[in-house]
Amino acid sequence: MMGPTGLIPLGGVLQSAAAWTETTWLHYFATNYKWVWATMETLHFLGMGLLVGTVGVLDLRLIGVAKGLPIESTQKLVPWGIAGFVLNTLTGIVFLAGAPYQYLYNFAFQMKVLFMIAAGINVMLFYWGGAWPKAKRVGAGESAHWAAWLAGATSLFLWIGVMYWGRMLTFFRPPFVVPPK
Amino acid sequence: MELLASLEHSGFGTWVREAPTIWAYPTVLFLHTVGLAFLVGINVAIDLRILGVASSMPLAPMKRLFPWMWAGFWVNAASGVALLIADATTKLANPVFGVKMAFIALGVVNMAWSKKRLFSDPEGLERGPASSHAKRVAIVSLLLWIGATTAGRLMGYLGPVSGLE
Repeated sequence: MMGPTGLIPLGGVLQSAAAWTETTWLHYFATNYKWVWATMETLHFLGMGLLVGTVGVLDLRLIGVAKGLPIESTQKLVPWGIAGFVLNTLTGIVFLAGAPYQYLYNFAFQMKVLFMIAAGINVMLFYWGGAWPKAKRVGAGESAHWAAWLAGATSLFLWIGVMYWGRMLTFFRPPFVVPPK
Repeated sequence: MELLASLEHSGFGTWVREAPTIWAYPTVLFLHTVGLAFLVGINVAIDLRILGVASSMPLAPMKRLFPWMWAGFWVNAASGVALLIADATTKLANPVFGVKMAFIALGVVNMAWSKKRLFSDPEGLERGPASSHAKRVAIVSLLLWIGATTAGRLMGYLGPVSGLE
């Protein structure tokens, strides 16, 4: 086995995490039934559409698209975005369990996780950092203030980035990993 | 078949498929994914609203989201043509590809039609809950986009598969 590659030099920790993952029932499930990977990928794409579509409507409104929508009303779509996020976390865990080396040592995967963490921080700053109480009073036809605009633009950028790194996974596959399928 | 092979082996097809640069195949695939998220994702948000989710959100201003869905559609039409040329003989021999195209054609027609009919009467949209007719249109829309996305993904698994994703 080659040494760790990618962004984060976790070395031994990563190695033992990957080795342990391959002993789990989830790894067996993900790699021993042909339909599992295809089904999980399909669900992962549907979850992506649900997440980016619903959260995207709020983000677009924050940056000034469809200003006829009161901002607080668009926020009611967010639970569906969270549902998409949960679906994608679960299906993502199946991929991770199925091919731990392909992901843990992959620069694109590490970037994808970083972008997801950044998106999480952006959401927390938006809701608890003072921008949301002001933004939710923005009615039809009004513009969001700069902090809310910035949160929306950042969210769009980060989720598009998450899709970018997700797509780059196969092109950054570590050289010692045999492709699945 | 010869036409497809020559398309596939054209300079453009070969470049998309084989150029050792992030700007060829990886970027085309990425654009196809972002286009999907905007076209299908925003359409799903509108469908959910028609079905009663986030009912405090007025429907009529959602009309302004249609250009974003059309942008997603055209990005995917263009990137899809590039992906098709790069893998023409395999993709066109795959019945799942035909199924995907059918779902997309119906999805787009349904979307254009709902914009024309549902969104042409903003006052009607604002009056209480959406009509049962509008709800049927929304359910059909959800099913068509789920079908298109599923067929797209399964093209990598069912029928002839070249290994190009």
